[in-house]
Amino acid sequence: MHRHHISSALTASASFNLHLLVSLIAFYALVVVLGILSMGFQLLASRLLNPHFGSSIIVWAWLISTFLAAFSIGSMLGGWISNVAPARRFRLQATTAALAVGALAFTAVLGRLLLNRIELAFGDSSTGLLIACIGLFFLPVTMLSTFGPQCVHYLAQRGTAPGAASGVVYGVSTLGNIAGVMLTAFALIPSFRVSTLLYGWLAVAILSLTGLIALLRAAAPASPTKP
Amino acid sequence: MKRLLSLCLTAVAVGAAEPDYVQNFDSLYNNLTVEKRGTVVELRARAHGGEALESAVDLSDPQQLVVRYTRTLYSALFFQPRPERVLMVGLGGAGFHRLFAASYPQTLLQTAELDPKVFELCQSHLGFRPTAQTPVTIQDGRLFVKRSKEKWDWLILDAFRGGYVPPHLKTEEFYRECAARLSERGVFISNLHAGNELYYSDIKTICAVFPQVVLFSTAGTGNVIACAVNYTEPSILDAKQWAKDEEFLRPPMQGRLDFATLRRERVPHPSAAEMKQAKVLSDDFAPVEFLNAMKVNNTR
Repeated sequence: MHRHHISSALTASASFNLHLLVSLIAFYALVVVLGILSMGFQLLASRLLNPHFGSSIIVWAWLISTFLAAFSIGSMLGGWISNVAPARRFRLQATTAALAVGALAFTAVLGRLLLNRIELAFGDSSTGLLIACIGLFFLPVTMLSTFGPQCVHYLAQRGTAPGAASGVVYGVSTLGNIAGVMLTAFALIPSFRVSTLLYGWLAVAILSLTGLIALLRAAAPASPTKP
Repeated sequence: MKRLLSLCLTAVAVGAAEPDYVQNFDSLYNNLTVEKRGTVVELRARAHGGEALESAVDLSDPQQLVVRYTRTLYSALFFQPRPERVLMVGLGGAGFHRLFAASYPQTLLQTAELDPKVFELCQSHLGFRPTAQTPVTIQDGRLFVKRSKEKWDWLILDAFRGGYVPPHLKTEEFYRECAARLSERGVFISNLHAGNELYYSDIKTICAVFPQVVLFSTAGTGNVIACAVNYTEPSILDAKQWAKDEEFLRPPMQGRLDFATLRRERVPHPSAAEMKQAKVLSDDFAPVEFLNAMKVNNTR
């Protein structure tokens, strides 16, 4: 009987460890995918802008600044979301994910049309570029970036020291960024239409954000971190 | 015989002589080298595997077309012998401009150049003096074409950045924008580089937009100049219908341009087998960098 208890406890422990391992692998894979989505999107964005604004250093300055602004605001917003009460956090996660997906869909469906209009409406390249970058790229990248700090929070909740959690999430996410840039530049753009790739981004965003939200929710404690 | 040998040796020695100067410049878009050797100044841009010759000018005779493909650009005269308004996308060292401006002093030769440093070096080192008839605008070529409302008798596309052409200047949409800016008998002229996959896609894309396209291959170089028009009648495919020399010959061209040679430079379109892998490049799909933009450098 006693032996049976030990055996059950061991089986339960092994199953728990396996579950932990699988969820951790899934977690890091999703962090990589989010990194790919963000920076790969920057290269797609440059291909969208080039026919309308050229490929000058001015285009890159606006594009890079827009993405950095989105990373910055998204990170701050995500930091705030990580600390609100779970029920409200879940709603905010669903809202940011929906906004990310909606904004990517907007760019995929109406991007070219909008760029044609913007280009005609603004003679000055910088004004047109600012409006194009804000209108088409800022929102999806901001919303995707909100999940970075929440991933740090996820690891911290599971016992990783906050500094280590932050380091590993941003390290893995940056590896995802590199993968996104290289994959998009060397494999995707040479093989597919930009419009097709934008729909691909949309599909991957829907799947990965759904998976990440499910993981984050499963890990959430019963009581809020902060009232 | 001795004298001949001595002349040959002198020529070799001059050819191998140290350049008067080699200067390097970093611009917003290029790493540029200006090299002066005797009276010839070369403008080169760093490209993968070396430097791409952008332009060369003989300061003792600036109207001389030192880089051979610039001579082939004049094949546009066969189709539009009296150009009054010419737009050139890509300034380089303005090697083309001097003879053109001297031959057609009343014609507007407008240039759109992206890199302000190229324009600066062109004036400071290659002796180019823009005038009211040869203005230069610092702007992306595609933006210039899109925003200009004027019509052009010749629209020359000769824009390179180092060893490659920016993708947005290689697409069907851009060529349509160019076609829309041509005058009734206007000619679109593009400097292409044969011998790589991009060349076939270039031809296919140009042919998707323009109903008539004639190709000229600069002898001894990899340059192919495509001349394309918007109309189907009269035919430009029949060389007998082309403008005669007397319709366009101007005194400055004497000794600098040989139109009989230019006529012989016409080449057929690539075969169906060669075009098998070619793709029409579009704003949505233009992997120009991966179609090996420039295996062949410009040649003097």
